Amino acid sequence: MPNTLRVIYSAFRLAMLHWMADPQWVIPNVIAPFVFTTVALTLFKGSGGPFGLYAVLGGGMMGMWGNTIYSSGFAIEFEKWQGTLEEVIAAPSKLIHVITGRSISNALFGLTNMVAVLIVGTFVFNISLGISEPILFTISLLLTLLSVSALGLIFASAFVLSRSAQTLTNGLETPLYIISGSMFPIALLPFWSHPIAYILGPTWGIDAIRLTTSQEYASQTFWVGMGTNSALILDLTVMMLITAAYVAIANVLFKMVETRARTKGTLVEA
Amino acid sequence: MSELGSQGGSASGKAIVAEHLCKVFEITRGMVRRRKSQVVALKDVSFEVDYGELFGLVGPNGAGKTTTIKILTTMLIPTSGRATVLGYDSQKEVTKIREKIGIVLGGERGLYTRVSAVDNLRYFADLYGVPRNVQDKRIKELLEFMGLSDKAHSRVETYSKGMKQRLHLARGLINDPEIIFLDEPTVGLDPEIAIETRSMIKGLVEKGKTILLTTHYMFEADVLCKRVAIIRNGDVVALDTPSGLKKYVMETSVVEVEGFGISEKEVTKFREMKDIISISADLSENKQVLKIQTPKGSEIISEVQEVLKNSHIYDIKIKEPTLEDAYLKLVAT
Repeated sequence: MPNTLRVIYSAFRLAMLHWMADPQWVIPNVIAPFVFTTVALTLFKGSGGPFGLYAVLGGGMMGMWGNTIYSSGFAIEFEKWQGTLEEVIAAPSKLIHVITGRSISNALFGLTNMVAVLIVGTFVFNISLGISEPILFTISLLLTLLSVSALGLIFASAFVLSRSAQTLTNGLETPLYIISGSMFPIALLPFWSHPIAYILGPTWGIDAIRLTTSQEYASQTFWVGMGTNSALILDLTVMMLITAAYVAIANVLFKMVETRARTKGTLVEA
Repeated sequence: MSELGSQGGSASGKAIVAEHLCKVFEITRGMVRRRKSQVVALKDVSFEVDYGELFGLVGPNGAGKTTTIKILTTMLIPTSGRATVLGYDSQKEVTKIREKIGIVLGGERGLYTRVSAVDNLRYFADLYGVPRNVQDKRIKELLEFMGLSDKAHSRVETYSKGMKQRLHLARGLINDPEIIFLDEPTVGLDPEIAIETRSMIKGLVEKGKTILLTTHYMFEADVLCKRVAIIRNGDVVALDTPSGLKKYVMETSVVEVEGFGISEKEVTKFREMKDIISISADLSENKQVLKIQTPKGSEIISEVQEVLKNSHIYDIKIKEPTLEDAYLKLVAT
């Protein structure tokens, strides 16, 4: 039986090699968030409060979020296009481990979105994020990326069955981004959307990231009155529990869709 | 099919056993009114392959060759019937089978073209759990064996069709498999590269590998395979050695006509003649070729000339039947 970490690393490495071989990633990963953040900051300019922070972090998160969700789902489609899906599935390693490696690579590339947005915010609009806890900020960011990757795995499983899964990811990308509170505080959203927000790992990740960047935000966190550090720990704990649940769900889904695909013969339907 | 009867589908000592495999695909059409229909890909396919044997599976397009390979390689679950590979059940012991087999699906796709041959092989080596300390040596050996050492670090997108096919073979061997499934490995290759590929396949058998090969080319099955199963419409219609299969057409001979200006209308006339068992026609080139299988031998030549009186005939030969003739007879009947 192949070593799980070795398979994840190998899939990660191959995905990175493909990213490097195709410089087109610059458009969705750098230029698009650059334009989006410029528009958002222009709109929020002069509105006061931490809206600049929402715009900068939100724009960056949107880029990461979109990139990871889209690319994770696309990972299966990519294999179909290359004609390699059959070879990958015919190998003894688990497909979910291969897609995990690809998802992590996509998430890491999603970081370029954040960097692009931070550069715009800092140098064009003079918005200082004032990261008070650089280490905790980095940890929160990386864990949020993992959580987004795990959610991407759930979407990826749908692609094993059908290419129409593309519609699913395209359709869900923006609603999930809004509901998770990336750009607007959840409090501004309708009450019915709150339960959905709470089962999205990135909702808690974004809360944690904001806590590490702005003291002003402490009054808007989910854990008001608990102290910044306690709130941060609770955010990250809840997010990791949700992430673990995503991985467990993805594992079950991958098993189900693989059995279904082996029965219906839809493995390579492109 | 007498051979199957004597073996009775026993799994003992056989590399591959397929027992009454049946596969029915359900197709759903329509957005509002969902209509279901069924496509029978395999009706009843049974055969056994010995260890170290090169076994051929031939048949026309849609006959069920690839479906059979996909069931044996755990990619598909049969609707009914059972298959074992190396003694493992293809439905239940999926990982055990996958660890010990290699699959070469061929064609220009199926490789990561933006990265090098080494990157492709290293990736699949990890997916097959080949230990790192073995990988370097094996990748080097495989690239040498396939004659790809010089371009080992070049992107696969710069490779010729033949080089890609050799890389496919190398990838299929990365886990040093006990059984190799080759799905039409020479399709679309230049004659020179196809010969080279066949020679590599022979080399693998000499190394003790068991191979299940599907092909469209009867001469390829004749040259390479110890035994051949002919599949038609999801059924095995014959299973024997190439020389055993030729016995089906021993009492017949093949009249080969080379000419120009032969039309489909004339081919149809031949098909309607009662003494013609089968006919294959290649009318696409300037030099057209008809292969007419008949029990009448040279007696039919005058009738052939009559049918082709408006065409130019360059040459007419009476030939010994080949595996292709046996195939045509079995597939046509």
